[in-house]
Amino acid sequence: MSRAWTAFAVAVILAGVLIALTPYVWILMTSFKTRLDALADTPVWLFTPTFEHYPDVFLEKNYLPLVWNSVLVATLSTALSLALGVPAAYVFARHEFPAKEDLFFFFLTTRMAPPISVVVPMFLLFTTFRITDTPLAVILAHSTFNLSLVVWMMRGFFAEIPREIDEAAMMDGHSRAGMFVRILVPLAAPGLAATAVLCFILSWNEFLYAFVLVAFEGRTLTVGIPGLITPHGTLWGQVAAVAVVATLPIILFSLLVQRHLVRGLTFGAVKG
Amino acid sequence: MGVSFTDVGKVFADGTVALDRFSLSFEMGEFVVLLGPSGSGKTTACRILAGLETMSSGRIEVNDRDVTGLAPRDRNMSMVFQNYALYAHKSVYENIAYPLRVRKRPRPEIDRLVRSMAEMLRIDDLLERRPRQLSGGQAQRVAVARALVWQPDICLMDEPLSNLDALLRLHTRTELKRLHRELGTTFVFVTHDQEEAMTLGTRIAILSEGRLIQFDSPRAIYRAPATRFVAEFIGRPAMNTLEGTIESGRFRASRFELPVARPGSRPVVLGIRPEHLVVSDRPTDDGIAFDLDVVERVEPETLLFLRKDELSLVARVMRDVGDWEAGSIAYLEFPRAELHYFDPTTGTRLD
Amino acid sequence: MPMRRILGGLLDRGVAPLLLIPSVVLLVFILVGPFFYMVWTSFTDLSFALPDRTGSFLGLDNYRRLMRDDPIFWGSFRLTLKFVIAVVSIEFVLGFALALLLFHFIEHRRLVLTALMVPMMLAPVAVGLIWKLLLQGDFGMVSYYLREVGLLDLRSALLSNAGAVMPTVVAIDVWQWTPFVTLVMLAGLMSLPREPTEAAIMDGASALQRFRDVTLPLLRPIIALVLLLRGIDAFKEFDKVFILTGGGPGTATELLSIYTYRVNFKSWDLGYGSTCAFMVYLVVLILCAVFYKAVYWSEGRPTGARAGAP
Repeated sequence: MSRAWTAFAVAVILAGVLIALTPYVWILMTSFKTRLDALADTPVWLFTPTFEHYPDVFLEKNYLPLVWNSVLVATLSTALSLALGVPAAYVFARHEFPAKEDLFFFFLTTRMAPPISVVVPMFLLFTTFRITDTPLAVILAHSTFNLSLVVWMMRGFFAEIPREIDEAAMMDGHSRAGMFVRILVPLAAPGLAATAVLCFILSWNEFLYAFVLVAFEGRTLTVGIPGLITPHGTLWGQVAAVAVVATLPIILFSLLVQRHLVRGLTFGAVKG
Repeated sequence: MGVSFTDVGKVFADGTVALDRFSLSFEMGEFVVLLGPSGSGKTTACRILAGLETMSSGRIEVNDRDVTGLAPRDRNMSMVFQNYALYAHKSVYENIAYPLRVRKRPRPEIDRLVRSMAEMLRIDDLLERRPRQLSGGQAQRVAVARALVWQPDICLMDEPLSNLDALLRLHTRTELKRLHRELGTTFVFVTHDQEEAMTLGTRIAILSEGRLIQFDSPRAIYRAPATRFVAEFIGRPAMNTLEGTIESGRFRASRFELPVARPGSRPVVLGIRPEHLVVSDRPTDDGIAFDLDVVERVEPETLLFLRKDELSLVARVMRDVGDWEAGSIAYLEFPRAELHYFDPTTGTRLD
Repeated sequence: MPMRRILGGLLDRGVAPLLLIPSVVLLVFILVGPFFYMVWTSFTDLSFALPDRTGSFLGLDNYRRLMRDDPIFWGSFRLTLKFVIAVVSIEFVLGFALALLLFHFIEHRRLVLTALMVPMMLAPVAVGLIWKLLLQGDFGMVSYYLREVGLLDLRSALLSNAGAVMPTVVAIDVWQWTPFVTLVMLAGLMSLPREPTEAAIMDGASALQRFRDVTLPLLRPIIALVLLLRGIDAFKEFDKVFILTGGGPGTATELLSIYTYRVNFKSWDLGYGSTCAFMVYLVVLILCAVFYKAVYWSEGRPTGARAGAP
């Protein structure tokens, strides 16, 4: 009886995997198809690949800066969130003070703010300060969700390290700051890495803030995608190429954090 | 009638051999204790009997019925887990009632059985509480109630007292004995605590490294341990063992010599329990001089740690040795009737 | 060097909480400040399209307009609500079922999860793009096979059909986020203590009874969490619908966020747009609060909110 169930389960899972992967495989293929193959009436599964779209869109259409912008924005917003969030997480994990959990809840709510609500005043504010249309605007915007992610995840990781280790380190002569930098952070390094990668992914994939806050100069890859879809016609090979570059690194990255993914995505409520 | 394990073997996926040709049989109504250190296979044997684990080889019969392939619910057994495994979202009443509800007994019968069981275990005032509002001892009694309420043939218990503090443990031991007497259910009790085993069991099965070493009444195990391992495992403090040789009626271990009533000449392990050593602070005819290293007074008894060259012994004395001090000399006698002999390589008892 | 010593000394003297200040300052500047600015703007007539509207105070006019004169807003609101309910329930049932299958019957879960995870790791914009291509009327791969199976008329496309477009968007969201539910529910199943289930086995419960009486109650906090997370994210949905349909055809897929976007950045009616934005925020906040209260009240604190360690 259990054998029949296993067969059923395998069939369903296989179908699920196929459904999950085929669309992505298709766009991958499309990025290497000639225009003829891509626009054929009957879907083309076997074809001679062409590599023309990549240089066409990244060099001729000058989309390469977008890649750089995505890297810049994702890296810097991650760095900023880590720099501010990790010490904050440490404080939450190890110290007590009035209204501590309320403050923590405040951090949680920042992640829940709907971007569409926030981007409007942010746009107005940034225009006033004249930082619209710069990567800085997007970096700051992304910290609204990345900072709270860092605080949430790292608090959990720090809390897992027994307090006794702090105390032993201080008995060994470290000051609290020294203990934090030299003992606690290295011990939490795997969690730190996972958090950093997750921040990077979220920032890289983000669209709305990047779209609204930046007109041309600081465009990220995600923002570049709609630009290639016009009412006059879309160069699907090129769009596909952009999409591939916009997504492939992230897929590879996510394999790195796979183990910690659940924890990060559920505010640490379920251990990964 | 009864339970029998026949050549039961269990090998886990990673290759560890948990049970090796384990054979055991006992009658219904007994209180059988599976005793052994961790890794001995006692929990595995229990879980295989329950049906929670499959066996790699062998057979189990209950009341002349082969239960080897049967699902747990068809074996007429219940189980009490080490950390009680209560249903956190159900009340105490619902926890106890659950096996009856699952078996679709009529509601008035369920109510009657639950309440009488709760009364027997003295938790009848806790019926409306949730598990998280219970103390360890209370939770454990709920677990026992749940296991006994539907009157199974056999009740399995996997180290149920390990998470209780010492005082509570003693208390609950007495309760379990009372339950056994009143209900007549067969109990199979797993523990690593030899004192627990000795007080509770009608018979004790001692396991080590997946094998059955000895299955006997507590008294027999104490007085005639089948191997050196059993001799050293049972009793606190453990039996004294000395490795040496027997030659022409004398036991020799380095510069220690003792006349013994054993023929032949062979290497041997000599054993004597701490309470059987006769100690005196004055020289006697048969007394052998030892240095008194440490005196531990645990009223009403005293433990004397003695040394002679490389040999160390522990003696347990029940009388007042008020002025004995470390550093003095004590004289030990080794009554022949209380000596045990074991083979030095296999550890088996020599008679 | 002396700086570090000062800082270290400060920390030792229990002013560590001051380390929180930079984070809080940043968030206040980036989020709380703009938030209040938005609330203020929602009471004005600010517009980037009309030169004479520079943000003079309007009292409650914008709000009256929202409540009484904007059927499109409320139509969008209802649409978004339907979207959220459809999407969350389908994803939950499918995702949970998949997690159960994976948990009970599959050996190499890691591998399977890696593959299943791909849709949710893609940038939502990219998801929109991929499906736009797949559903293209003339050469979309999925359109082609749908036609082959007879589910689609010749030369028509799902995305341009007002009746079919919303279900299609729902289906695409299900494609994208079901793996998330599966991931979380699987983690939940794996984190469950083994003993209560074994106790239920010994108590004689069947597999179905065990699921209902032991597994589900123990999973309740995680189920609540998943529903909350997906619900809120579904409500905020923007990126992929924007690319897929831009809200169309007509307003057939104009979710609240897209409508708000249109008011703010197409009509440049920022005063009223802020009013809409504020309403969206309020709805999300209320949803959160309701949900949080519901879980808090029924279960004690949810698994993650234990003091000291999320």
